[in-house]
Amino acid sequence: MTAEQRGLWDVPAEDAPADGPMDPVAPAPVRAAPRILRVSDLNRRVRQLLDVDAQLADVWVEGEVSQPSFPPSGHCFFTLKDASSQIRAVLFREELAAANVRPEHGMQVIVHGRVRAYEPQGTYQLYVLTLTPAGAGDLHQRYEQLRAKLAAEGLFDDRRKRPLPRWPRRIGVVTSPVGVVWRDIANVMRRRYPLAELVLVPTHVQGAAAAGGIVRGLKRIYAQAGIDLVILARGGGSIEDLWSFNDERVVRTIAAAPMPVVVGVGHESDVTLADFVADVRAPTPSAAAEQAAPDVAQFPAILSRLRDRASTAMLASLTGRRRFLAEEDRALARLRPDVAAARQRAADLLDRGHRALGVQAAGARATLTALSDALRALSPAATLERGYAVARLADGTVVRSATQAAAGTALRVTVARGTLATRVEATEPPPDDEEELLP
Amino acid sequence: MTEPIGEEQLAGRPFDELIAELQRVVQALEAGNLPLEQSIELYRRGLALHGACEARLRDAELTISQLGRGLSEQPGAGDTEA
Repeated sequence: MTAEQRGLWDVPAEDAPADGPMDPVAPAPVRAAPRILRVSDLNRRVRQLLDVDAQLADVWVEGEVSQPSFPPSGHCFFTLKDASSQIRAVLFREELAAANVRPEHGMQVIVHGRVRAYEPQGTYQLYVLTLTPAGAGDLHQRYEQLRAKLAAEGLFDDRRKRPLPRWPRRIGVVTSPVGVVWRDIANVMRRRYPLAELVLVPTHVQGAAAAGGIVRGLKRIYAQAGIDLVILARGGGSIEDLWSFNDERVVRTIAAAPMPVVVGVGHESDVTLADFVADVRAPTPSAAAEQAAPDVAQFPAILSRLRDRASTAMLASLTGRRRFLAEEDRALARLRPDVAAARQRAADLLDRGHRALGVQAAGARATLTALSDALRALSPAATLERGYAVARLADGTVVRSATQAAAGTALRVTVARGTLATRVEATEPPPDDEEELLP
Repeated sequence: MTEPIGEEQLAGRPFDELIAELQRVVQALEAGNLPLEQSIELYRRGLALHGACEARLRDAELTISQLGRGLSEQPGAGDTEA
């Protein structure tokens, strides 16, 4: 606190005597010139006073909630009152989200927070940090004890959580058949995944018998064949309304489920032990239904994609085969025998054969001619032709020596053309060494 | 995958089975190491499955059944909670 502030507040003008003996050391009364404050100064002064009070900074107050409001800011404003007094209270968005309950008109609550002044309006109010329903203290303690015990047993472990079936065919629903919860679930399923079958197990979800009913309902659905998953759901309510979902028997029955269990109880902020043990925790019943099944809206696109892929693959296969055929065809074309060329070759060969034969024939003819010429040359006719003559005796003996024919012997002389009948006039024998003189 | 083609057989089978088989058919076609006749047969099968899936989606109606009788006692007050 500054000196100036102390000066402002520590001198109550009314207490100073108007007249009479003055204390010589006392400061002169300031009545003559009162310090005029601005409103904001005043409010700041009040706020500072409240802020330094350790008790007001940490108070626990029990009272009844009146007229809570939830403006778009997300905060909650309400009046906390008892029979004779009231105070404005605010629960900021973060604390509201963390609170287990939502303030309702008439709700008896215990709040923890601090008192501060709100300068702009010159009011003081309760800034609430936690808010719990009055009388819930006992319940809350039991809840915490049970939660700790079951957690120690591992019932809430993540590795116990099973994935939900992708395309459930039969879905068990354990809930009250009366009211919007069942209707919401059926509507969500009708819209999202009408391919499934919902099997409703009607049960009370509130009241003393609720826990037993839920356990019976769950066991009943467990005994059914072909149930792919179970939804356990209930609408929102007070902590007492939801209490059966904190019942140990219910929690253990959920843990023992042979198929995955989706729990959707109350509002977003309601967390029960059933939520902890569920395979999937949904914030609301509708959300539970949404998580339980896929949305058929995605299937037309999936189906067309599959069909397109099939067509593309088929087309690719056909194109591939066609290309293969074309290649084979080209290969065949390369390998096909060239008939024209062969024919040409054959013709050539034939010609050559003919030619070769022709040459041989000509040679043969020439040889033949030569031979026949030679033969002709050797024949007497040819000799006669050259002018020689053959003389024969009457008996036809060829005269080779002059001694064979004495004078007067008749000779027949053959010339090339014709024969002469002659007589020898004289004989002239040849010299001894001369023998036949033939051309 | 050698089942005879026919919408009658397909109509009785669960949707998820149909779409799963369609996926297998597509994958087999895409693998592309089948004889031509088998490819064509498979492709026909795929078209039939596709048609059956579409029909199923078109005609789907949520089935609701109930285990046990309705509650005889009065419903809890909180059951109608929005």
